[in-house]
Amino acid sequence: MSTTPLARRPLSCLKASLRRARQHRIISRHMATEAAQTTASPRPLLGHNFFPLTDRKTKTLRSAFAVYPSTTVAGKKALTPPPVNVLQSLHEAQIKKMDPTGARTALFAKTREAAKVGDVLMVTHRRGGEPFAGVCLSIRRRGIDTAILLRNHLGKVGVEMWFKIYNKNVAGIEIVKRRPKRARRARLTYMRKPKHDMGSVEDLVFAWKRSRKVFSSGKPAAAATAAKGAKGAKGTAGAKKK
Amino acid sequence: MAPRLPARCWRQLALRPSPITPTTTLPRASLPLPTRSQTRLLSYTQFRTRKSGWSTLPPRAKPHRFNQVTSGLPAPTTGPAAALKRKERTTPVRAGVLAVKKGMTVFMGRTGARIPCTVLQLDRVQTVFNKTRQKHGYWAVQVGMGERQPGNVTAPLLGYYEAKGIAPKEVLAEFRVRDEKGLLPVGVQLLPDWFHVGQRVDVRSYSRGMGFAGGMKRHGFSGQEASHGNSKNHRTIGSVGPSQGSGSRVLPGKKMPGRMGNQRVTIQNLPVLMVDNDLGIVVVKGCVAGHKGAVVRIQDACKKDPPPEDFIEKTRKLLEERFPDAEAHLQAARERHLELKEARREKRIAELMAQGMNPTEEQANAIEQIIAASAREDMAERAPAEF
Repeated sequence: MSTTPLARRPLSCLKASLRRARQHRIISRHMATEAAQTTASPRPLLGHNFFPLTDRKTKTLRSAFAVYPSTTVAGKKALTPPPVNVLQSLHEAQIKKMDPTGARTALFAKTREAAKVGDVLMVTHRRGGEPFAGVCLSIRRRGIDTAILLRNHLGKVGVEMWFKIYNKNVAGIEIVKRRPKRARRARLTYMRKPKHDMGSVEDLVFAWKRSRKVFSSGKPAAAATAAKGAKGAKGTAGAKKK
Repeated sequence: MAPRLPARCWRQLALRPSPITPTTTLPRASLPLPTRSQTRLLSYTQFRTRKSGWSTLPPRAKPHRFNQVTSGLPAPTTGPAAALKRKERTTPVRAGVLAVKKGMTVFMGRTGARIPCTVLQLDRVQTVFNKTRQKHGYWAVQVGMGERQPGNVTAPLLGYYEAKGIAPKEVLAEFRVRDEKGLLPVGVQLLPDWFHVGQRVDVRSYSRGMGFAGGMKRHGFSGQEASHGNSKNHRTIGSVGPSQGSGSRVLPGKKMPGRMGNQRVTIQNLPVLMVDNDLGIVVVKGCVAGHKGAVVRIQDACKKDPPPEDFIEKTRKLLEERFPDAEAHLQAARERHLELKEARREKRIAELMAQGMNPTEEQANAIEQIIAASAREDMAERAPAEF
């Protein structure tokens, strides 16, 4: 039995001596290969396993095929399979790019200090125009595409607007008035009904601006910062011009 | 090889002029010419048939001598060569890739632009096979994606992957290319930088299956009235054609309820917004047919100009740099495959399995180098972290 393969492949008698020579040269190689296999690091050029096919009835080996590792080696680097949750990583990367300070993320995070539905918010647009204020009806959290819905009355007509919080066109978002009690719904669609409609928030915005002394004749910027300091954490977590 | 002369010719050559022949020839028998004619190779009487005859001409089953290139006729407009020529302009220069649709999101621009986009992920996309004009009739690259458990692969396919030296793939697909310049080395992995930002691609996939859908959903019919005496027919399609006089039949192709979706949809000319090798993604603008997790095919747009020459060269060079020994690997895998195939035929595969995998001296060296390099890199990565 042992002579048959030798007769068939006369050069295979060299294998034993080659193997011995290699072991003499670097003894730790086999340990290294073992470690490499467990950590899925670069696999050898032609390293493969066998996949046996067994006969169902007799439970004996019918045939076997070589199965190569699924990780390809590019030069000296192993190309591992790509991450599964790409969308999440992509969102994180995009948010980091669009909101480097993390102010917007913090403003709509699920924390105590963050803005919530029911708060009155004011959004300043980058392209100028009147800032839009309104009560926040819902926060749609979709990573980079996160948006808020604000409702106000302009000339006795209800107006609702969606704002993408990470969009560059949204220059600033400020909290005008917090809801005294936490809303018990995630989306306050009932506030569209006449019974619950808040109406115009113009007076709230006016009062808030006066409290920040925007209309004072002195130094508006300094006054604003003073007001901000006085308000502390309550005020403008996301207040950010440009 | 020249055709053999039939036996009777040899016989005639061997025979001397028979004494009867001079009687048939008239007084000029004394001249040398008639004597030569007596020893002619072939008789004048024609008795060759298909059965016994022979010819130095090729068989004339097909009249090849007509319609030659030199006959000044226009090139044929039908046939394989003409078909390839016709499709040349709309066949992409390069092979495409397979990807998985991961979902949709938006791409926020620096100037406030918001672009809806689809994220497509390339999961270990490898070239598996090249098809050539000579052998298969057209140029194409077979590409595989993902990973499949060997237990879920049939034995013939296991042998196929064994001969290629790559792991069994989840999906295989074929991308036609214009000519042999589009063929790729077998076993190389295509990464997202196969495409560049701003280029246009065609994305093909199977749309979501809706099952058996009614006329309103499937074809946008308007349905019927809610009232005015309507009875239990609010969403039915109504009449399917005129009655007697117009044939009293339903015209072929009439839009009716039926299976909806799960059809192959091609979205053409989608711009590539982003490519990322680390995440393995290609982000294209707009939407792509199919559910999340659907397999999509991405290839250079066939109705736009191919990517610039220097970009194509760059991707080629990158492939060569990343996989310098792809050819050697393929060759080694082929040899190993032949060895194993023989062993399987001779029922001594168990013996080889017990023997295990014995790398040659060169391979052992290569393995050692790779391991040493990765160890060095690990050390280099760890070193700054410690400080």
